[in-house]
Amino acid sequence: MDDLLVEFIAETRETLEALNGEIIAWEAAPGDRTRLDSIFRFVHTVKGSCGFLNLPRLEKLSHAAEDVLAECRADRRQPDETLVTAVLAIIDRIAEVTNALESGESVSDHDDAALIAALAPASEKSSEEAAEPTPAAVVQAPATTRGMSRSIRLPVDLLDRMMAGVSDMVLARNDLSRRLRETGVDPVIEGAFERLSHCIAEMRDSITRTRMARIENLFSALPRMVRDLSNELGKQVMLEIDGSDVELDREMIEMIRDPLTHIVRNAIDHGIEAPADRILKGKAASGRLRVSARQAGNQIAIEVVDDGAGIDADRLVEKAIANGILTADKAAGMSWHAKLQLIFAAGLSTAKQVTSISGRGVGMDVVRTNIERIGGTVDLESKLGNGLRLSMKVPLTLTIIPALTVSAGDRQFAIPRSAIDELIRVSSASARLGKIGGGKMVNIRGRRLPVVMLASFLKLEPRCEEHELTMVVLKPAGGDHYALAVEAVHDHEELVVRPAAPALMACGVYAGTTLPDNSHPMLLLDPAGIAAAAGVLTEVEEQEEITESADAQLDERAQTLLFRDLDGIERAIRLSLVERIEEVSASLASFSAGRMRLSQDDRIVPLMSCCALPEADKYRVLRMTDGTANIAYAISEVVDIVSMEFTFERALQPGLIAGVALVDGRPIEIVDSFWLFADAQKEGLLPERVPVCMIAGDDPWTRQMLAPLLRSGGYRVTFGETGTATDADVIILCDSQAEDTLSAEAADTPVIRLTAHPDAADEDHVYRYDRNRLLDVLRVKSERRRRAR
Amino acid sequence: MNNLYLLVTIAGSRVALPTATVESVIEIDGIEPVPLVAPHVAGLFALRSRVLTVIDSCASVGLGQFVWNSHAEAVIVNCDSHGYAILVENVDDVVEPSASVAPSRAVLSADWARVALGTIEVDGEALLVVDPDALIAGNVRSIAA
Repeated sequence: MDDLLVEFIAETRETLEALNGEIIAWEAAPGDRTRLDSIFRFVHTVKGSCGFLNLPRLEKLSHAAEDVLAECRADRRQPDETLVTAVLAIIDRIAEVTNALESGESVSDHDDAALIAALAPASEKSSEEAAEPTPAAVVQAPATTRGMSRSIRLPVDLLDRMMAGVSDMVLARNDLSRRLRETGVDPVIEGAFERLSHCIAEMRDSITRTRMARIENLFSALPRMVRDLSNELGKQVMLEIDGSDVELDREMIEMIRDPLTHIVRNAIDHGIEAPADRILKGKAASGRLRVSARQAGNQIAIEVVDDGAGIDADRLVEKAIANGILTADKAAGMSWHAKLQLIFAAGLSTAKQVTSISGRGVGMDVVRTNIERIGGTVDLESKLGNGLRLSMKVPLTLTIIPALTVSAGDRQFAIPRSAIDELIRVSSASARLGKIGGGKMVNIRGRRLPVVMLASFLKLEPRCEEHELTMVVLKPAGGDHYALAVEAVHDHEELVVRPAAPALMACGVYAGTTLPDNSHPMLLLDPAGIAAAAGVLTEVEEQEEITESADAQLDERAQTLLFRDLDGIERAIRLSLVERIEEVSASLASFSAGRMRLSQDDRIVPLMSCCALPEADKYRVLRMTDGTANIAYAISEVVDIVSMEFTFERALQPGLIAGVALVDGRPIEIVDSFWLFADAQKEGLLPERVPVCMIAGDDPWTRQMLAPLLRSGGYRVTFGETGTATDADVIILCDSQAEDTLSAEAADTPVIRLTAHPDAADEDHVYRYDRNRLLDVLRVKSERRRRAR
Repeated sequence: MNNLYLLVTIAGSRVALPTATVESVIEIDGIEPVPLVAPHVAGLFALRSRVLTVIDSCASVGLGQFVWNSHAEAVIVNCDSHGYAILVENVDDVVEPSASVAPSRAVLSADWARVALGTIEVDGEALLVVDPDALIAGNVRSIAA
């Protein structure tokens, strides 16, 4: 059944129940004005809804009752007992029909006309009988059909209480689980506990779902809005809606209602051109507007795509320069995407004249601020003349926020991840902390940012030295970058955040409270609030010069990764060689073909280590590349990234260790990356460099005898039919196959023929069991081939 | 039912709290202080999965700070859908006075006057009726001044 209809039935029934008392009271005192008014309102509402839902029968009934009641309200008619009875009969009939609607049954309508006729003043009544059948109908009505309703309305408050109850339960479960682990417990009890946990998890799930609503609630208003707007503007718009069944938090739907409306309005108003213009541009007369929603993990992605004019980012830049938001120098280095982002700049988008030029803009900054406030992001993509794609990503619920937990002055705080740009240690080479007039600035890769020392800002006792601090670079919604200095960074967590009490919110630096698993309440910091309270000024545009000098310095001092190796010794390696540091499952590492290898992402790379790999579930590896070859080096842990000069005492013999250098007064062994790559490659293990040998003819002998021989010789083996094109360096044919079956492409590929006769050997023919000669010929031919290429 | 009062001790004085918004009385320990807030906000406390804002009643009536013993008792109240734990020195009894709240005839200090709703008579003793919401709100004016 239609959702709207269900809602109508529920609402009507609810009002009817509330109205019951009124009706009885009205019957006792027909002159009572307030009762009259509330009954009038009811039939009026029903009439309105019925017109909308196309329920002509109910509409007729309610319309008749409304007319009569309106006359009473206007004092043109005195309500008497007959009239009251007649109105009540109508209301009962409405209730009856409403119930029937839900249960899908039908109520005979033969006496509807009689009910309506009964409303007429006595003088106009054709006969006394007309009023007679009415009471009978009234008596019967409740007895008929009231379908079992499968939906109820609940106050949100009750749901919240249920949610809180379940949260309590989860905490109690966690507590119990910890205790069970500590004491070690009977497997029977453990099994029962597992079952309980499972039930609680399911319950939490379904309670969470009660707070969810389909995004349809939001989208259902769009067709009407698009229709009205396009009529008003004389445009033709074809609206496509997709993903109405995506569910998200009810409150979240309310939060994105305005931004979405705004975006759709903009798309029609400024994006899609008038039909005549569109035809001139070679587009269909009617514009297309596509609104879609889909769930991606913990987020909902909503996209609004139109095929209108798009935004001209260059004109946006012109305007921004004219408004003094941007300097011409800076604009020159901006990418198209960066220029587009200007649409979100506050000073620009609210300016009226920009609207007429750029197309969009009124309040896009507000849209972004609103979306970011609920932990979402907005982005846009514009193809000039071809349209605009605006995408929003919002979390599933308002209450769960991805956050980073940090500590300052021995206390832990959470920072919403959406505001975090990057994390950087003060001790690392790319950040330098400086002091200006009592305030602190940090220079991160040539960019100077104001620093807020979280501990002293919160008037807490700092617990560590300045060089141990970590900078959290924040970009609060509607503000500029700044760095928040924290003492430690702990974890990324999804936190259930509740609004904090007004007394806490009043100081402006907190966004809410949360209760992590350890049961110690934690505060969620508000990055924008902190910036305002600490007096962080607008970003200074003096980056360019600094960048150069910083780069010059970086060249001399190489970024070096300090790590603890598997044998416990601290070693160092040039950071530029390390692509990434990752944890890999031990199952991916195996000893095969003579060495440890790591198979990952469809590739096999040599896995190097200073000693034998320990037994473990996971290994931490440095993935390194010299541009072409890849290797992995297993380590125990990363210690730090420092900037150091690459001068060191050479090792006595070439090997894994190139030498030893002093870092902070400690001798640190420097890993010889040259040796590492050479060692990995001396066995010719890297697939990219291996010559390919195609065996024409796939039979057990070639597969099980020939192929392993070739592989041990350092070739990659493929099997192919003769006549197929190939990228092989050498083709091996078995005796029975004729060369002329090879295709033209393969004709210039060297061919080796294997024969079954030891004596029939020339340059191209090799006896199939003459291993040495086969490998020799193969090497000669593949090298010749490679040179030819 | 609505005429019940909880007798507690705040800053050395016995006072009565209307029970309409009182949820329960708990023992409280290990609160998490909150930096930068008004002095009457003692911190946060987790009551099962709820995070309560702990109110220092002494500071709220401008009479110094709550003195912690090994543990403290707190009255849990609900105000504007936020949960609060009001620290009190002692929880005595729940009474139902025969007479309704009368305006206080004593001249109250400014801070007490701010939180007072009137007096009730319990066992021949006149007790000040304190508004929990006013305790929670704290002495906003004195901070602003």
